[in-house]
Amino acid sequence: MHVELQNITKTFGSLRANDALSLHFAEGRIYALLGENGAGKSTLMKILSGYQPPDSGTILIDGQTVTFQTPADALQCGIGMLHQDPLDVPNLTVLDNFMLGRREGLLPKRSAAREALAQHAARLGFQLDPFRYVDSLTIGERQQLEIVRLLSLGARLLILDEPTTGISAEQKHALFSALKRLAAQEGMTIILVSHKLEDVAALCDEVYVLRSGKLVGHRQMPTPIDTLVTLMFGQSLPRPTRGAHALGEEILRVESVSLTARRLTVRDLSLSVRSGEVIGLAGLDGSGQSDFLRACAGLQALNGGRILLAGAPIHGKRYPELLRLGVAYAPSGRLEEGLVDGLTLTEHFALTASDGAWINWRQAAALAAEQIARYNIRGAPHSPVQTLSGGNQQRTLMALLPKNLRLLLLEDPTRGLDVESTAWVWQQLLARRDQGAAILFTSPDLDEIVMYSDRVLVFCEGRATLVTDLDDPSRNPAERLGELIGGKNL
Amino acid sequence: MSRLARWRGTVLTFSAALTAALALIAVIMLSLDKAPLAAAQRFIEGAIGTPSARADVIMAALPMLLCAAGLLLTFTAGLWNIGVEGQVTMGAIFATIIARTIPRDVSDWGIFAALIVPAELLLAMFGGALWAGLAALLKIRGGINEIFGGVALNFISVNILLSLVNGAWRVGTFPQTAPFAPAALLPRHPELRLSPLGIGIALAAFVAVFMALRGTRFGLQLRAIGRNARSAGILGVRVERNIFWAMVACGALAGLAGAFQALFTRGRLLPNISGGIGFMGVLIVLLTGVRAAWVLPVALFLATVPIGSLKLATSLDSAVQIDAALGNVFQGALVLAVLIGGGVRARLAARRKERSEHG
Repeated sequence: MHVELQNITKTFGSLRANDALSLHFAEGRIYALLGENGAGKSTLMKILSGYQPPDSGTILIDGQTVTFQTPADALQCGIGMLHQDPLDVPNLTVLDNFMLGRREGLLPKRSAAREALAQHAARLGFQLDPFRYVDSLTIGERQQLEIVRLLSLGARLLILDEPTTGISAEQKHALFSALKRLAAQEGMTIILVSHKLEDVAALCDEVYVLRSGKLVGHRQMPTPIDTLVTLMFGQSLPRPTRGAHALGEEILRVESVSLTARRLTVRDLSLSVRSGEVIGLAGLDGSGQSDFLRACAGLQALNGGRILLAGAPIHGKRYPELLRLGVAYAPSGRLEEGLVDGLTLTEHFALTASDGAWINWRQAAALAAEQIARYNIRGAPHSPVQTLSGGNQQRTLMALLPKNLRLLLLEDPTRGLDVESTAWVWQQLLARRDQGAAILFTSPDLDEIVMYSDRVLVFCEGRATLVTDLDDPSRNPAERLGELIGGKNL
Repeated sequence: MSRLARWRGTVLTFSAALTAALALIAVIMLSLDKAPLAAAQRFIEGAIGTPSARADVIMAALPMLLCAAGLLLTFTAGLWNIGVEGQVTMGAIFATIIARTIPRDVSDWGIFAALIVPAELLLAMFGGALWAGLAALLKIRGGINEIFGGVALNFISVNILLSLVNGAWRVGTFPQTAPFAPAALLPRHPELRLSPLGIGIALAAFVAVFMALRGTRFGLQLRAIGRNARSAGILGVRVERNIFWAMVACGALAGLAGAFQALFTRGRLLPNISGGIGFMGVLIVLLTGVRAAWVLPVALFLATVPIGSLKLATSLDSAVQIDAALGNVFQGALVLAVLIGGGVRARLAARRKERSEHG
C-alpha cells in the first residue's frame, strides 16, 4: 500500500499547523516523523488517520483519492493509529477490548475472537492474557493490545505516536522487533512519530522532519544525529547577553525529590534556586516538568524527598497558604485552572483581593478598571472572562498575581500567544525577577527557554539534568537542549 | 442576551411547563371520568380561597423555603446536597430532645419559659449542621461524592428516627411521641394556623442567604468554586473550607425546617417527619436554576399543591373527588417539564449562536 499526502494544509485560527505538506510513504518501509512540540506532527497524523479533515490537500492510497470522515473510515482503508495514551477501555478485559470495533453483528463470537487475538499476538511475538483487565496492564502491554487490535482490523499502515515513552526497555525491544518484522515480512508501512533520535536511529529507514508546520527535511537513514537536530530546531538565535542582575538568597530548595508524572516517575531531583533567578524546565510533554511545578506549588504530592521554601518545608501546606507566603502558580490551561469561566473581571479581582467578609463592588470595579488600564487588557470590568481572547486572558492572570511574590511557577506562560503578547508577558515577568522573584517556567519552545533562562533543567526518561553552561559559545544552546531532551546523552 | 430577554425567557418556559403539566393532569382526570375544570376551580378555592387556606399555604411553604435557601448555598458551590432530607430529619429529632421534656405547665419557669423555643431551634440547627458537616467531611477527607454520602446519611437518619419513635420516645400504641406541650411549640396566631415567629425566621434566613450570595466574599467564593473549583483554588480560594461551611450552613437551615415540622406542622415527632420537604427544596432550587430571587414565589406556588389537592381528596362531590397523590404527579410533571424546557432553551440558544457566528 502506497500512501501519498499532497499539499495538506490545516490552520487553527492564525496558526498554520500544517503548511502545504507533501509526504510519501511506501510499502514495507519504516518512517520517522520528527519535530519539536508544536511542529505539526500530531496534526498531520490525525488527518491521515481520520480524526480531523484537512483544510485543503488530498490523501492518495495506491493512487486513489480518499477522504475520511472518521477514524473508522481510515481503518477501513487500512490506516490505524496508536495513540500516545492508548484509547482502550480500562475496566474491560483484554478480550473485550479486542472485540470492540470488530464488525460481527449483534452476537460476537467470543471463542473466535479469542483465537484471533492469540493468532495476531503470536504473529508479533506478544503475550497477552485475554482475561486480564486492561487497567492492570502496563502501558507497554496496552500498546501491544492496541497494535494487535489494529492489525486484526486490517491495518496496513500503522502510525505510532511517541510509543516508547513510559515503556520498559524490554517492551521497547519487543515492540521494535515486531515492527521490523511487520515491515520486512508483511510489507506493512510504519510511521513513528517521535522526538527521540535514538529510537529513530534504531528503527527507521527514512526520516521526515517538520518545523513550524513545514517540511524541512527528508533523509534516508542512517543520517548523523547532529544533522537531524539542526533540521529539527533550526539555527537558533544567538543567546542574548543579559545585564548581570544580582542574585539574592536561596528561595527554593529541592532535595532528592521523587514524583509521579503522567507516565513515568521522576527520581532524585535536587535543585537550589535563588531570588532573581530564572530556571527553564525543558522536556517532552509529560516528562514531569509540569508535575514538578505543581509539586512546588503544593498541588501535587511527592513520593519522596522534600521541598523547602526559604528554608521551611512546604510539606502539608496547601496552595492558598503558599500563595500567602509569596508563591504563585499559573497553569497553561487558563480557563481550565486559573480563571473562572462565567465570572466577570471585577469578580476575579474581588476574589483575589483579600480583605473583609463583605465585598465593596464599587471599589472592586474601580480596582478592575485600574488593572485593565495598567495591564492593557482588552475588556471591560463587567466582561465575563471567557469572552476575552487568549492573550487578554493571560494578561488578566498576570494582573491577578499578588504584588510581592518570591517564587513564580509558570506552566507554558506564552501558550497560544502572538509575538507581541509573548514579548509583553516576558517584560512583566522579568520586571518581577528584577524585583527579586525567582521564576520557574516550562515551555515547549526551546528558543524561549534558551532566551530567558539562567539555568535549564532538562527532564528526560525520569531524570532531570541541570544545564548551567548555556553561554558556551562553541555550541548552539537549543541544539544542545534538543539532544538532551531526545535522550542522546543518556 | 439582555437581562430582560432572559427574564422573559424564564417566564415563557415556566408558563409552557405549567400548561404541559396541567394538560397531563387534565388527561388523567378525564380518563377517570372526572371534571378537570370544576376540579381546578375547587383546587384554587381550596388553596387560596379563604384566610385559613392561605395561612396553610404559607406555613407549608416555610420549611421548603428554609431548605431551598440552604440549598442555594450548596448548589451555588456546585454541591448536590441530596442529604438535605436527612438534615431535616435530624433537625426534627434534635428539636424533640428538648420539646418532649417540656411539661404542660411552665407557669413557674418565669423568664426561662421564653428560652424554650429558641433553645429547641438552636439545637435543631446544630443537628442539621452536624449531619451536613458529616457529609462534607466524607467529601473533603474521604473523597466520597456528597450525593452518595448524603443518600447514606439520609438512610441512617430515617432509621435513627424510627428507632426513637418505636422505642425510647414512643408514647401510646402508634410509633410516635406524645403531642408536645404548648410551651414547646412555635407560638401561633390566636385564630389562624400561622406562626408569625416562624415566618419572620424563615424570611430572615432567606434574606441572609440572598445577601451572602450577593455581597460577601463567602458568596463570591462559592460561585467561583461552583463554576470551576480548580481555578478557584489557583486564585487562592480555600476550596475545602468553603465547601464545608456551605454544607454546614445548609444543614443548619434544613435542621430549622425540621424543627418547624416537629414544633408546628405536626406538633410531635413521628415517622416521615420531614414529609419530603428536603427534596421539595431541591426541586425548587432546580426549578429556579439556582437563582435566589425566584425561590420565594416558586416555594409559595408549590406549597399550594398539597393544600389544594387535600381539599380535592376530601371533597364529597364525586366529579372532582380524587386522590391527593395526583398532586404529587402534578409536581413531578411540572419539574420535569421545566427541566425539559430549560434543555430546549439551551439548545435553541446554542443553535442561534452558531447561526449568528456563521452568518
